[in-house]
Amino acid sequence: MATMTSVPETSRKPLSGAYGKATRTRRGRKMRDNLTGYAFLIGAIFCFALFSWFPMIRGIVMSFQHTKRGVTSWVGFDNYVRIVQDPSFWTAWKNTAYFTVLALVFGYVLPFVVAILLNELRHAKGYLRILVYLPVILPPASALFLFKYYAYDPSDAGLFNAILKFLHLPTSEWMQSPGMTMPAMVLASTWMNMGSAVLVYLAALQNIPGELYEAAELDGAGLLRRIWNVTIPQTRLILALLAMLQIVATMQVFIEPLILANGAGTQDSATTVAYLIYQHGFFQNDLNGAAALGVIMLLVLAAFSAVYVRLTTKQD
Amino acid sequence: MSRTLISQAQIGRGRGRYLYWAIVVAVLLIFTLIFIGPLYWMVTGALKSGQEIAQTPPTLFPKDPQTRNYTDAWTNLNLAKLMFNTFYYAIGAVFFQLVFDTAAAYALSKLRPIFGNVVLGLMLATLMIPAMVLIVPQYVTAIDLPFVHVSLLDSPFAIWLPLVANAFNIFLLKRFFDSIPEDLIAAAMVDGASPLRTLWSIILPMSRPILGVVSIFAVTYVWKDFLWPKLVMPSPETRTLSVGIYAFSGGTPMNVVVAASVIAAIPTVVIFLIFQRNIMAGLTSGSLKG
Amino acid sequence: MSVPQYRKVAALALVAGLGFSLTACSTKSDDDTSKSAGGKTVITVDCQPDGSQKDLLKNWNDDVAAFEKENPDVTIKSVSVGQQCDNPPDFTARLTGGTMTDVFYGYMTDLQQVLDSGQAMDISQYVSKDTIPTWDSVDPALKAVFTDDNKVYAVPTKNYSMGLLYNKTLFTKAGLDVANPPKTWADVRAAAKKISALGGGVAGYSEYSAGNTGGWHFTAELYSQGGQILSADNKKADFNNAQGKQVLQNLKDMRYGDNSMGSRQLLQWGDLLTNAAGGKVGMFVGAPDATTAIVQTFQGKYDEWAMAPLPGQDGAAKGTLGGGEGYFFRKDLTPEQVKAGLKWIAFEKLTPGKGQFDYARAKPQNQPVGLPQPLLFANGSDAQKQEVDLRKANQNLPTENFALFEATPVPIKGEPANAQAIYAVLDSAMSGVLTNPNANIDELLKTAETKTNQLLASNK
Repeated sequence: MATMTSVPETSRKPLSGAYGKATRTRRGRKMRDNLTGYAFLIGAIFCFALFSWFPMIRGIVMSFQHTKRGVTSWVGFDNYVRIVQDPSFWTAWKNTAYFTVLALVFGYVLPFVVAILLNELRHAKGYLRILVYLPVILPPASALFLFKYYAYDPSDAGLFNAILKFLHLPTSEWMQSPGMTMPAMVLASTWMNMGSAVLVYLAALQNIPGELYEAAELDGAGLLRRIWNVTIPQTRLILALLAMLQIVATMQVFIEPLILANGAGTQDSATTVAYLIYQHGFFQNDLNGAAALGVIMLLVLAAFSAVYVRLTTKQD
Repeated sequence: MSRTLISQAQIGRGRGRYLYWAIVVAVLLIFTLIFIGPLYWMVTGALKSGQEIAQTPPTLFPKDPQTRNYTDAWTNLNLAKLMFNTFYYAIGAVFFQLVFDTAAAYALSKLRPIFGNVVLGLMLATLMIPAMVLIVPQYVTAIDLPFVHVSLLDSPFAIWLPLVANAFNIFLLKRFFDSIPEDLIAAAMVDGASPLRTLWSIILPMSRPILGVVSIFAVTYVWKDFLWPKLVMPSPETRTLSVGIYAFSGGTPMNVVVAASVIAAIPTVVIFLIFQRNIMAGLTSGSLKG
Repeated sequence: MSVPQYRKVAALALVAGLGFSLTACSTKSDDDTSKSAGGKTVITVDCQPDGSQKDLLKNWNDDVAAFEKENPDVTIKSVSVGQQCDNPPDFTARLTGGTMTDVFYGYMTDLQQVLDSGQAMDISQYVSKDTIPTWDSVDPALKAVFTDDNKVYAVPTKNYSMGLLYNKTLFTKAGLDVANPPKTWADVRAAAKKISALGGGVAGYSEYSAGNTGGWHFTAELYSQGGQILSADNKKADFNNAQGKQVLQNLKDMRYGDNSMGSRQLLQWGDLLTNAAGGKVGMFVGAPDATTAIVQTFQGKYDEWAMAPLPGQDGAAKGTLGGGEGYFFRKDLTPEQVKAGLKWIAFEKLTPGKGQFDYARAKPQNQPVGLPQPLLFANGSDAQKQEVDLRKANQNLPTENFALFEATPVPIKGEPANAQAIYAVLDSAMSGVLTNPNANIDELLKTAETKTNQLLASNK
């Protein structure tokens, strides 16, 4: 992954040309080599065609159609107009953006800090790594039901409220309070998922040459300076990559609102774009509207990626 | 070990040493509390009665532990079947990904047929498409495959085949294969080995770490995926653990749902603890070297 | 093996692998043998009780065995789809995916959706006294619900109307008269206040606001005010008015004015019933069979529960929500399969003394007998008389628990078109008023109205 952004273009000669005796014509051999190549590729191509390429086109096509009782007709931008006019549309985007920002602040920064901390400890390393990774391997529904029923119980019998009360802090109604819905979802999601990011960061941190720290220290750089001047620049690529992956993942948040907030959440505070797609497609029997929403989401993410690529390449 | 942010010397003596140990102890305590605490709460909470769980303040130890929630969860939700399904799908996913993605990556890396780069580009382009965008057209495709008009619903292939279309795996594998010296393969070719034989006896043995990583990714993905299996496995007999527990949560007492969640977590936690050394090593090294 | 052969093998293996994978999946859906195996007619039927309802499951399985003995040429394959047979998103997905069983369960409100999916069969020519002996006794109003354009699409198997369920134990404790339950929403509020004063986390009145059930109850309560969800032509939302506001205002007063609804909100079906079974709920709006669920699934006691008619704003309720369920038939069934399906439904659901009306069997199992439900047969019909006599003979509920509900009929109104999707919209109005002390009722209703109109537009 670390090397993803710097793919060296291999210009080696295709090796299939290296064998085959000169008994047949060049063209025949070339043809045969290509066939061999595609024989190995056919399985993957088949699956990509069926479940990625074709659905992508089909999604765009569906978004301009309307199907009713088996009769499909072209309706132009009707689905888009209808989707955008729905008040839930803007609520969902607002919520999704809010979740993404919160997840960036917590779910993104926190694992990096934890990784730096763990990397400095000389003891109990294995144990701590296992701890951090443990929630990742729980089935997501398991972890979320734990939060829903025990941690976020709005009465004082709930785990979090009991702790807050014990510490003489104000308690919260968690998922019942529109202001807390998103932070609570990010908290659960971070607990569940941060293990993988911590491991990736740890690997990146281990690749930083020790001399750099040595040199920085000789220059009189303190702890924070060293993090700022050595750790972050040295892990920049992986940080940038994970930021992008994280944004794409959080924009599609679905199971958290579905389980923690029973879908829409109180006063629509948990409705995300992904949930809206699900609702249109599999609840309101509006597959065409769901397809239109999907296309809008794709465009937003594409615009986002473009800006992102622009920003990161400028720095290089 | 190589030097990190803070030098060994700094924490080896005097005040630094005390500070270091204080931090170690604090981290151990806090991390244990944060990551094991909720699990403890979950396991013991499901041992409590409905009355006790609603009690204020909550009890740290179950007063009168009863296993009824666990036995109810096991029988009512048919957890054994759900577990079997989930493992079955995971193993199948590993198999299909290893076979098809390895073959494809090998072709793209070493055989390089005509238009191979175009195919690779088209595959990598799918990395930019979020899964949620495709969910509706994918579902419509799965319920009525083009040309053959077969429905994949309730068939494990509905989970296995879409997973083969994983550009990230192909990318990882191709990068790894690219790093295998050409000379080795040329030598094999001169000896008259076919591409399949080369793949089998030269490339694959050298690629164990990356194959391990791909397998771990496949298992975790199937384990954690929710919406797709929820859509394509509508029957109770074919559901995965997460989907099955969710399907029952609406009409099942809360403590039974949590008990089911605990049972569902046990097998992977056990497997993880047994193989944690290999899994951790694979995740931290293999994926990055790829 | 020479080199080219190796390559051929590789290619063949891959292609064969794919071919195999496709044939492997196709065997699943293409087995025509399932329609008639060895001269027998085979049908799949869903909504078999699940493992958590042990008695009901055993009864169902016994019935299947008995039915197959009576009809040796029919084989029934039962499918359990979960506790709520019709969990709306799953139901919609099954329709879209065409994975319903041959004979499939649906709500009365599902007719339009089922027709839109094009998956159901017109069974008019099959349904008669020959296939369902009690057909002529079935309430014509219920038949009408499953009829579109003079074509019958489903057989009704359950019918209910909603009222106010209340916990007699808590009523007594709070010093309220169990024989004189609240008649108006103001009475409900006063009683809820007294019950919640008992403490211990008891909610005087409990209400749904998630998983579509919030919208469902909003509808019932709106009917009690004399309102309606949609305009007569089903084209516009019609709840953003004084009646709709009153519904939410009543809840807001109880929730934040008196704090008599408990602190846990965002309840959906099972949550409220769990609390009710645990003795933590004084009153809630529900159908008579909510008590069955409380007893069978949530381990509560049914003799605690009594039922009154739905309260009204200033006197008796102007209407109540009625609903129900039935079985549809897949469009690709053979005539034999349809007939077998109808016979099975007649046996299990529409014969006094058998199946769901086998009160003699239900009584020793400690299931509530004597609920004023399912109200399938028309008043004065033979089947109705038989059913009521059997019910009385085996009654194990104190008669007075439901006497008031039965004695005070409230006009029944069916569910609106696109009910489930509209309920989902209304959930947010309900959750708004139950979780936000400063909720703006006008705004909540306005938003719900806009969304409902959008939704109706998408279904045109």
